[in-house]
Amino acid sequence: MRQVVGLTSTYSSDEFGVCSALYELGGMVVMHDASGCNSTYTTHDEPRWYDQDSMIFISAISEMEAIMGDDDKFIEDLVQTANELKPRFIALVGAPIPYMMGTDFDAIAQIVEERTGIPSFGFMTNGMQYYPNGISMAMERIVDFYCTEKKETQQNTVNILGATPLDFSINGSVESIQEWLKSNGYTVNCTLAMNCSLEDIQNMSKASINLVVSTGGLKAAKLLESRFGIPYVVGVPYGKKFASKLLEKLKLKKTSLGWDRKQVKKEKHLALIGEAVTSISLACAMEEENDVSVIVLDPLNENNELYRTLDVYVPEEDDVMEQIKSVDGIIADPLYKALCSNKEFYPYAHVAFSGRIFEKDLPNLINTEMKRK
Amino acid sequence: MKKIAIYGKGGIGKSTIVSNLSVTLAKKGYKVLQIGCDPKADSTLYVRQGKPLNTVLAVMRTNNKDMKLEDVICTGEAGVICVEAGGPIPGMGCAGRGIITALEKLETLGIYKQYDFDYVFYDVLGDVVCGGFSMPMRKGYADEVYIVTSGENMSIYAAANIASAVQGFKGRGYATLGGFILNERNVKREQEKVEELVQDFESKLVGIIPRCDIIQEAEENKKVYVTYEQEETPCKSSLETLAEALIC
Repeated sequence: MRQVVGLTSTYSSDEFGVCSALYELGGMVVMHDASGCNSTYTTHDEPRWYDQDSMIFISAISEMEAIMGDDDKFIEDLVQTANELKPRFIALVGAPIPYMMGTDFDAIAQIVEERTGIPSFGFMTNGMQYYPNGISMAMERIVDFYCTEKKETQQNTVNILGATPLDFSINGSVESIQEWLKSNGYTVNCTLAMNCSLEDIQNMSKASINLVVSTGGLKAAKLLESRFGIPYVVGVPYGKKFASKLLEKLKLKKTSLGWDRKQVKKEKHLALIGEAVTSISLACAMEEENDVSVIVLDPLNENNELYRTLDVYVPEEDDVMEQIKSVDGIIADPLYKALCSNKEFYPYAHVAFSGRIFEKDLPNLINTEMKRK
Repeated sequence: MKKIAIYGKGGIGKSTIVSNLSVTLAKKGYKVLQIGCDPKADSTLYVRQGKPLNTVLAVMRTNNKDMKLEDVICTGEAGVICVEAGGPIPGMGCAGRGIITALEKLETLGIYKQYDFDYVFYDVLGDVVCGGFSMPMRKGYADEVYIVTSGENMSIYAAANIASAVQGFKGRGYATLGGFILNERNVKREQEKVEELVQDFESKLVGIIPRCDIIQEAEENKKVYVTYEQEETPCKSSLETLAEALIC
């Protein structure tokens, strides 16, 4: 059955991707939607919610406001709240109701910016796309606005792009990437967008290279390349051997994928389901240290520019079921186990899929031995 | 490139006027794009002279991923490029949202970049009934809005509503009100009534198109009037004058 998720869960939406990407930057982020199901973001998809303050709000649009297209109330609420809280910026995040109403977020942001003097951005998310689209949109826009000046390039200085808890949880993986870079002679300039400030973003043009750790960071990396000529390497340093290969790519100072696209099927053949950059990196790490081939099944977006020869886009649950018929085992979030009853299943939690349910079981695999005993 | 959105009450003659303007300007050597923003998808009917055209939304529905500009454009009379946004199944879905999606898709496909247009016309359905139908006047789309009206009260009422909407969007960076076009229906005090409307909005009357039965005859023959009519007539001359007014 097409376009039906019958046995598993669904991924976090694009609006939550924007919220996650902007969480630590000191802005006021407002999802324009009815109150209710958006609390999924705070209760499930945002591990920082209870420990770290952020100005994330829901506008709580009412039925009549939606029917009447009453933008004025939304604008008044935004202006009043912004004047009280004095955020660094204001982000307006779209959801299904304003999407169908045709709410013009850019125009509202323009009015709010004029009235408050605070930089304001409209994000045309709709809750029907997945979180990487939202992360991508937010990171590109914020870099575009704040990183405009070319600073003197500092050699062996790197920005990490695309880091959010939706892909990396808060299990120390992002800190481990930073440590790995430092231990290899790099200075970490800005990690977009965890442990990061707007000032860090303004200084991103100092970097000699960017490391893109999720698809959400790709557009910002391309922008920095076109604006300042900073090359980027795509990959996450999972495993010892793959991390070493990724390091060699960084040293070349050229835009490239962190992996070879040619892939050979081995006798032991596994599938890994998840976001393209993190999953391909992890698959490569496993292949480097074990006699196994691991194909990536990407349920989020068709990322042909990233896939190796056997990786594939699986937009539907049916596509996943079809693809896993021919593998010996599956590595995926535990909620995928329902599809894999007759196969070996290796749980690997993904916050963007199962929220915080399995958070404590999520291992930090950055620059660690991947050899299966 | 100048982008112009034409609004007005349903049935007031917007598509007829836009089609004649498109062909008139194209015959002067300008590169013109006409986008029908109505689920009925009949704006460009006579410019295309019967050539079939798939609407943007129809193609998106069946082949969104591999869709190309060539799938949704048709070169009409005098080289006018024709596009129809289309709409949902009648009685279903959301036509306004459809207009937004179709216009965004055209931009994503690079229609404005791929062709070096001098003039783009958005021929928009009836009144500004919801957020979707204000899309053609949003930032990045039309530069100016022109409203077609006759002297009939209902038409003037609709025109005033549209003009109020344009003024209400002040501060959003939307298109400005370029003026009103009188499409005569030969009602009493017609020009006087429309001029009062124009004054109310401190705007201008940019053209007066006299009533002309040959327009219907041309359309019966699936032709645009300015091409079908071989003689120099007051109506033809008024369309020519209007075209000149819009491009200056």
